[in-house]
Amino acid sequence: MKREVVITGMGAVTPLGENVSDTWKALIAGKDAEAPLELFDTKGCRCHRAATATLPALPGLRAKELQRLSRASRLAIPAVREALAMAGLLDSAGRSLVPVLPFSVSTTAGGMGFGEAFLRDILVHKRSRLLGPVARYLPEQQVLDVQVALGFEGPSLIVANACASGANAIGHAAEMVSAGMADCVLTGGFEALTELVFVGFDCLQATTTERCRPFDLKRSGLLLGEGAAFFVVETPENAKRRGVQPICRLSGYGHRTDFFHLTQPQPQGQVLVDVMREAAKSAGVSSSEIGYVNAHGTATPVNDGAEAQSYRTFFENSLDQTRISSTKAAIGHTLGAAGAVEALFAIQALITGELPPQLNLQSPIPEIASVLVKENEAPRTLRHAMSVNLGFGGSNAALIFSRNEN
Amino acid sequence: MKTDLAIIGQGAVTPAGVGLDALLRGNPVETMVPLVSRPDRQWPVYKINLKDPALERWQKEPRLRRASPITYFLVEAAEQALAGLDASARAQTGLVVAFSTGCLAYSRRFFESIVTQGQKSASPALFPETVFNSPVSHVAATLRLEGAAYALAGDETAWIAALRTAWLWLEQGRCKQVLVMGAEEFDSASLDAYQNAGWLRQREAAQRFVPSEGAAGVLVRKAGPEDSMVLSQIEDGFIYRSKPQALAAGRRCLAEFEAKSSCFLSAQHQWLKDVEQSLARDRQTQESAIYLGEASTASAAWNTLRAFSLLDSENGPMLFPVWGSTHQIGAVALEKKKQFSN
Repeated sequence: MKREVVITGMGAVTPLGENVSDTWKALIAGKDAEAPLELFDTKGCRCHRAATATLPALPGLRAKELQRLSRASRLAIPAVREALAMAGLLDSAGRSLVPVLPFSVSTTAGGMGFGEAFLRDILVHKRSRLLGPVARYLPEQQVLDVQVALGFEGPSLIVANACASGANAIGHAAEMVSAGMADCVLTGGFEALTELVFVGFDCLQATTTERCRPFDLKRSGLLLGEGAAFFVVETPENAKRRGVQPICRLSGYGHRTDFFHLTQPQPQGQVLVDVMREAAKSAGVSSSEIGYVNAHGTATPVNDGAEAQSYRTFFENSLDQTRISSTKAAIGHTLGAAGAVEALFAIQALITGELPPQLNLQSPIPEIASVLVKENEAPRTLRHAMSVNLGFGGSNAALIFSRNEN
Repeated sequence: MKTDLAIIGQGAVTPAGVGLDALLRGNPVETMVPLVSRPDRQWPVYKINLKDPALERWQKEPRLRRASPITYFLVEAAEQALAGLDASARAQTGLVVAFSTGCLAYSRRFFESIVTQGQKSASPALFPETVFNSPVSHVAATLRLEGAAYALAGDETAWIAALRTAWLWLEQGRCKQVLVMGAEEFDSASLDAYQNAGWLRQREAAQRFVPSEGAAGVLVRKAGPEDSMVLSQIEDGFIYRSKPQALAAGRRCLAEFEAKSSCFLSAQHQWLKDVEQSLARDRQTQESAIYLGEASTASAAWNTLRAFSLLDSENGPMLFPVWGSTHQIGAVALEKKKQFSN
């Protein structure tokens, strides 16, 4: 069985805004959220800056309940609420109208901040009041927090494929709907900045001490960020029953593992080419029809060169017909949420025609210099947009979104 | 959800030894391990002997030299489950691995160095191995599994999500077969977590919660007439936040299965044992004679294989509930079908 899959709801919390609309306006205006990192001490690190989100208020939750939530849950719950509301799946009390809602979600670190607090305490032989943090750090606890806060249950899947996880979670949700395993799935990803992860990228010298410059010859590393983005994916018939108009179609998904190295892509980017071809084939489109790519574009020396090479190979002679940008210079690399947040930007580009500019460019790398989105570009009419992600372990994934023409 | 998943390969790494025989008949040996927060207090643990030749061989692989123990558990169990599968078949094989705490030992070591020696001491060799999907990537690359690959996180029920994922991939034609695995590694920090959860109170050995580690996997495909071991139903997603809610969630879950199915017991040493006893009361029950300890998703995988070993084709399906210890309840139905020859 292969059924059509549409998106009917979207929600986000990012360093640029507490919802989809605010985030998008700031992104299109060319703003970035880079700032000194104040969530934890970074004095032993090379890098001291990141893109931090402002936690939205969670009306209806008591102070004690808020205190129990990890930072990751504080990011995820409002983003889910926005997505469900847009899809017409929330009642007047802000609870899910459907008691069973399959959930396909991504993260890399879950509520690691709580895990860090627990480890810190046991290392100094502290013995009391440790249950709270340790019981709430694992990723299923953020999933449970969302389910309890919004009032639904159902099969859940937590994809932890590093920085491609978000694309995998969304692609998996689409496959569940397409295969007839579910009529409607909530999907997306979340990630909160944590010390372990921040120091990890810092010690790999993958973070930059300068401006984050994706696809620039002078790129020197990534900017870490945090956020959450969620979507409701379903069949058009299911949406129609509720009188909800689809935002777009989720038409293509490809994913594969690059065996080249644990933390580096194969230099010619061939696996990513294969993944984009798989996504295009499943969407029934040719590369020349894809008008915008939200690229992974971490701004690390190794990633962007291989990724740019793979766009040249995938688009061949039609490269000049597309536009490409990495939004990580604006919101940072949100790791397990990246595939979800960046899918949101690809969808917004598709439905508005506005394209997120490639920030901080000085000397664009020649392979794709002509197609990187400039600031204040005129809107375009797009029929298809793609979002691409790569991660540690060689995870590669691509999603294609198409205009809903029905 | 009705499924038709045939098990065509099995592999296991347990504290009782490596391989299916150890899984079904081995006896693990306890090691006393102190809590991190209270070095004066020790608790028995079942640990895997990394010097076992079956595991040592993987430590010599160039790509795996810096890998964490969980990778060695996984790659060995995977190789057992894939036995007989040639290179072209492996190229069409997907891989989905369920984890609860994943690469815990390296994560603890990495963060401990930050806390005790400062951020400047953080090791760039350790950090990539702390990521959930690093062991998955190592297994796929080492054994040349070129199909889809997911690392899944969750409590014990992530094992069920992994089986469900395999079914979806096979339905979608993504792969010809899928290797589904569960794996965990022990670190003494988890003892402190269990202590805080109140799970280390029972002193009597027959009911004692013993932390453990290891991996297991099943190679699955869509069942054909020649297949005898079949997973015929998967149900999950019944969430809870308290023991009374767990009882209600378990009741909703088990109601999805045939009332006549026998039930494999696996929670005898866990905090949800009362829930299991209450819900399995009206069913014929079976259990394994040997306790291998608690290793979350790895235990769920071990118990699936052990439940199959107790089935015969004369009986109907056996129900194997997976008592997720922190999030939800799920279950699978296992059947041993009669094989017919032409």
